[in-house]
Amino acid sequence: MVSLFILIPFVLAAFLPLIEKISKRFLPDLLTNLGILFLLIYTMTYGQQIVALERGIRQLQWFNEQLNITFALDGFSLFMLFAIYLVSFGVTLFSIDYMEHYGNKGIFYALFMIMVGGMSGLVLATDLFTIYVFLEVSAISSYGLVAYGLKHDELEASFKYLMLSAVATAFLLLGIMFIFGINGSLKLGDIADRFASGEYRFVIGICTGFFIFGFGLKAALVPFHSWLPDAHPSAPAPISAMLSGLLIKVSGVYALARVFLNVFGLNPAISTVLMYLGLISILVGAILALGQNDIKRMLAYSSISQVGYIILGFGAGTNLAIMGALFHILNHALAKGLLFLNSGSVEHSTGTRDLDKMGGLGKRMPITAATTVVGSLSVAGVPPLNGFWSKLFIIIGLLQAKAYGFAFAAILASIITLWYYIIIQRRAFFGKLKENWKDVKEVPFWMAVSTIFIALICIIIGIGFPVVISNWIEPATKVLEQGINFAMRWLRL
Amino acid sequence: MQILYLISILGLVVFSILAILIKDLLKAALSLMGASVFLAIIFFFMKAYYAGVFEISVVAGLITVLFVSTIGLIRSDDFKESKMPTIIFPLFFIWFIIIDILILSALVSKFPLPGFKVPEPNTFGEVFWHNRTFDLVGQIGIIFAGVFSVLALFRKRDKNG
Repeated sequence: MVSLFILIPFVLAAFLPLIEKISKRFLPDLLTNLGILFLLIYTMTYGQQIVALERGIRQLQWFNEQLNITFALDGFSLFMLFAIYLVSFGVTLFSIDYMEHYGNKGIFYALFMIMVGGMSGLVLATDLFTIYVFLEVSAISSYGLVAYGLKHDELEASFKYLMLSAVATAFLLLGIMFIFGINGSLKLGDIADRFASGEYRFVIGICTGFFIFGFGLKAALVPFHSWLPDAHPSAPAPISAMLSGLLIKVSGVYALARVFLNVFGLNPAISTVLMYLGLISILVGAILALGQNDIKRMLAYSSISQVGYIILGFGAGTNLAIMGALFHILNHALAKGLLFLNSGSVEHSTGTRDLDKMGGLGKRMPITAATTVVGSLSVAGVPPLNGFWSKLFIIIGLLQAKAYGFAFAAILASIITLWYYIIIQRRAFFGKLKENWKDVKEVPFWMAVSTIFIALICIIIGIGFPVVISNWIEPATKVLEQGINFAMRWLRL
Repeated sequence: MQILYLISILGLVVFSILAILIKDLLKAALSLMGASVFLAIIFFFMKAYYAGVFEISVVAGLITVLFVSTIGLIRSDDFKESKMPTIIFPLFFIWFIIIDILILSALVSKFPLPGFKVPEPNTFGEVFWHNRTFDLVGQIGIIFAGVFSVLALFRKRDKNG
């Protein structure tokens, strides 16, 4: 049942605060981790079968009456679900120990599951307004999660995030309004069908602007990025990992790719705009990351830069570029998730995020240091780690599209990325151990297990990337390559 | 009719801006209620009766009651109202109207008429059950997210006083 992808997170979310009354820690930890693990396995088994048989479009029934709940589980949405549950599993494992001192785990996990359910609903939706509703579900839960620590910075960051998200939402609704005014339906297939004639170019142009602003703000593309460096570092580490690793990609990048590639169709104008937005984000994000002292803030700027690579790949529109962009969604979600979790480990052990105050921590925290090396090299694109292959695909895709300048800038930014990740390593983990960190200990068991798990996945995907490409990336690439034809044939009911 | 419609739009804009600019939470909540009432009237003019009824009952009614009672619980007496709204509001309002007129006059003529036949209005239940069922799942999610966010935000304050 495709509906389980949404029902399981929501049902668990409803019961977790009640379960907390019976068991404060054990049951909420267990149920959340089992729920996410089940969804991950379900995606890898049942989801793969459904997509292979091309039976992914489903309309739910209630006592033999057709309900207007239609899911589209295609290669693209299945790949996104896989990324969501894989990263979420690492994050929930980490939360077992990390969230101990925050208290009220039941409510934390409930908000977490609503965010996961919202993201799942968003990638399965076949209707523009439903996409908007689920985007709000994940966004509202993330406001609560960013402010979860209740300190001044966290509340301020959450409020800023809320305000800028409201602006993004307003623009998305404006775009949706214009489309409904012309089309009378918000089903993605219907919209693709209506706009395919080219009769409504002006409306498409206006809506393109609104959607680029709205989804671009959600994806934190430059120049819509100002909320991210405040919101992501302020949240508890597991939530930073979810926001930077997944939420900006699902509510921004996925929605942007779905609308522009499958519904409006990628024309030269949209392609150029996306490529320039991607390029500016890559360069600005990388340069701003260089000057940061706060480890989480540096990682947040790095996210802006890496999302730029993904958008650049989608904008180029060639087979390899799209494949690279999709692969980079997964790779960056894993590696950045890992790095944010490790920044949480460092903060958990030392109480600081300031790189100037750290030094030599690798001697006291060998697991955290080693897994941070894996995450850093992966994001920087060093072979044979997973991030290398996705960046290579994007760059070859850009060369295929004869976008030589973009390819050169992407390589240049990759070198800058490696530079600031070496800075993190050198300032935090290498060198002489500072006097005040002599008593620092390695993180608790589940936090270590979680980071080792994600680091291993990064290495395994890097070595065995052809398997991931054939099982997950190619089906998703096919969906996007077919453009509006896919939406008209597959998404229309 | 046209004048009433324009007055409603003007009222919506005025009260919305006041809700943002006024610092006193109680007055801001009442301004929001005013904006909501005007929005409901606009919905009625546009024959979106269900939306109008919900706007009045939920936003202008229920939410205002919640706001006012919460503000009543947390409000301190030594509150000073800022003079900013009286200075900024007229300037902001004039600027807003000019920009609005410019954008709308540039856009309106270029938009084609709706390319579909407006369907006959169904009952509220039919619309929700047959047309927007999936959204209901999302709406439940939004309610959960809101409730749990409030519980999360107020948890430590309860402990620490």
